[in-house]
This record gives sequence, C-alpha cells and structure tokens, in this order.
Amino acid sequence: MRIHVKRTGGFAGIERDASVDTAGLSDAEAWRTLAEQARTEGSDEPPVGVPDGFCYQITVDDRTFYCSDPRLTDEQRHLITRVLKEGS
Amino acid sequence: MDLTRPGSAPVYCTIVPPHLLDRLSQAENPAVAGAARRTLLQDEANRSRRLTTAAATVRPTVARAADAKPDRTIHDAQNGTELPGTIVRSEGEEPGRDATVNRAYAGLGATFDLFLKGYERNSIDGNGLPLIATVHYDEKYGNAFWDGKQMVFGDGDGEIFLDFTIPVDVMAHELTHGVTQYTANLAYSGQSGALNESVSDVFGSLVKQHTLGQTADQADWLIGEGLLAPGVQGVALRSMKAPGTAYDDDVLGKDPQPAHMDDYVDTEQDNGGVHINSGIPNHAFYLLATRLGGHARERAGQIWYDVLTGGELAVDCTFADFAKATIDKAAERYGRGEAHEAVVKAWSEVGVPTA
Repeated sequence: MRIHVKRTGGFAGIERDASVDTAGLSDAEAWRTLAEQARTEGSDEPPVGVPDGFCYQITVDDRTFYCSDPRLTDEQRHLITRVLKEGS
Repeated sequence: MDLTRPGSAPVYCTIVPPHLLDRLSQAENPAVAGAARRTLLQDEANRSRRLTTAAATVRPTVARAADAKPDRTIHDAQNGTELPGTIVRSEGEEPGRDATVNRAYAGLGATFDLFLKGYERNSIDGNGLPLIATVHYDEKYGNAFWDGKQMVFGDGDGEIFLDFTIPVDVMAHELTHGVTQYTANLAYSGQSGALNESVSDVFGSLVKQHTLGQTADQADWLIGEGLLAPGVQGVALRSMKAPGTAYDDDVLGKDPQPAHMDDYVDTEQDNGGVHINSGIPNHAFYLLATRLGGHARERAGQIWYDVLTGGELAVDCTFADFAKATIDKAAERYGRGEAHEAVVKAWSEVGVPTA
C-alpha cells in the first residue's frame, strides 16, 4: 500500500509532500488500519479551511481524500505526522 | 461615522521593546464598560462564524473609541492540539517567564493599538471583542493561523522555522484575518483570498512600522523577518518591496511571489495561490506608501482601511474590483490630488486594470 501526503497552504504557503510504501514493512497492517481510520472522516473535495491553516491531500493507493487544520481527527493527525516524518 | 484622524502622531517614536509595550498597555485604566464587554462576549458566542459586511458591524459602545483598551487572554496548548488550551496570561497581568507568552501578549497589544490609534477601531470587530491567542500549539508546529475565533501559534521546528510569535507582523497578520472576517469578509480563495492575505500582510507590516516608529522609506516591508532558522537562505517569508526575493533555499525552494499581473500564478494549491498572488496587491500598497512618504499607516493605510470596512466590496471581489475601490476611497477622503493619483499609478505599475 502506498500512502502519499501533500500539505499545502499555511502562513508560508510552502508545499511539502512525502510518501510511504508499506509493502514489506513489519507494521504494514498498522499503517493500513491507520489509513482506513483517517479516511473515514476525510472529505472528497479540498476544504477551503481557515486562514493560514494547512490543508492535507492524502492518497492511499488510488483513493484521495482531504482534511485541514485545526479540525483533524487523531488518526488523521497521526497519519500525516508519520508520513511527513518517515516518508520520502 | 468618520472616526479617522489622518494627521495624528505615532505613539511610539523609537524602538519600543515588547516588555515596554506591555507596560504601556497595562498602565491605563481598564475600567471600560465591563458589562457591555460581557454582553458582547455572549453575542460573539451566538454569532455565526461567517459574518457579512461592515454594515453589520455595531458601533463602539465605549463613550469614545479612543478610550478603549484591549482584553487579551493568552492560552498555552502545551504542545497539544486542544484549543484554546490553558489560560496563562490575562489582561493586566504581569509578564511571566515564558517569552513566547509575553511576545504574544505584546503583539496583540501592538495590533490593537494600531487599529485604535490609526483608525479608531476598537478591536477586531470594532466593538471591543476580546483577543484570544494560543501558543505552543502542537509539537514543532511550523505555522500560525486564525481559526475564525482566535489566533494559534506554533513553536516552529527549529530547523526551518523558529517560534511564530517572534515577528510582530506575523501576529498582527493573524489578528487582521479577524478584522477582515468582521468587515469585507473576503472569501479565502482565488483573487479575493489573495486580497484577504494581502490585507493581513499590509496591516501586519503597518503594526511593525507603528511599533518601531518607522516611516515608509525606513521600513523593511518584510513579512516574517526573524522567523527563519539560522542557516536558511532567506531574510523573511515575503517581501512587499520586492515580491519573490524573500528566500531562495535548498529546502524551502524559492519565494514564488509575483509582483505583477503578468506573472500571476494559476494554481489549484493553497486555495488558488492565496499566499502567492498576494504579492501583487502587497506591492501595489508598497508603491503607494513609499510614493506618499511619511507614516504608511496614515494616508495609504487609511485608504486600505476605508475599503476594507466600507461595506461595498463583494466577498468574492477581484484585484481589479479592490483596486477601483481604493481609487474611489482615495478620492472620497483626500480629493482628486496626490493620494488619488498615487493609487492609480500604483495599481497600473503592478498591471491591475482600474479603468
């Protein structure tokens, strides 16, 4: 499973993105569960969001959803943090 | 109601450190219509998040707007994401040990002061709305935002961004999003979104200039100067004087802001490039302010403020709509003289049509 996170907006307006390929990872199942939980509260269209807030585009394999600060679920926040930190 | 005093002198004539601003804002008598404040607080709680035009803005309830005082509360999220977090400093309390809290308190005070002294506006809503900010939001969070009710500041990751309360213009930028929400309510997407961003940069810079007692030619016209970590190749996040030149770094990339309509960036990202294309109206304001000279908050700032609060802009207005409104307001307030001409010229130089 490939998870891609693209972060846009923010005060600086600087884009950042990273992805993780879970194939072969020992915690692939944990990634899958996290990604599925994050998607349940995701939105199909990019939300306008709050002024200067980050907006996140998350693609899990071929399905894309969106969410934005500060209204993230714990799972969305965890997934975004992990992918941006551990991904490449 | 005309509340402006275009010729009034700046209060701070030299560089005033934050702890002094603190002192200044605490020194005055806070006995301002406490009951009215509580009522307003309740009103605010009942109000919907999307407010409409300035016509809906109620008049100040204090006897004279000039007597108004800020009502600040700083919260600490303690690196979590619950808002607003724990109260760490309320209005009138002495500075504590946390420099971030003290900077936020002083920054809110400096912004309140510009809107009050410059335009006789009593807080975000023109009616004494309490100013609420949260610091230490999330862990190593490299951002600041306005959530519709309050300001939120991250500590930065320390590698690219430092603490977002360091530049006073960044704090003023966030608070100005609140002013815009209560007045022109510019939709945060496309050109109206870039105007929303630009208005926040304009008043953010004016707060910095007011705090430092600078005239237009003395100002650096930078947004976020001091925010970039040591080692990052750049001076700030944006430059109103020279959009596109604030940074050029291996990690951050290059400042993408245009200064002219010829270089307008069409993009789906960032709500249609609201932080990119804001460079165009930012530069128009810079051109106007430096051409007029003196304190930018006076004539140039007054014209922008009149447009923002005039109640005539559509929420989804274009750069051209906004430009025409500034020309109308310049003529209304200052006649068809130097200021009016300078506004026309500024927009022409950045390629925004006004005819």
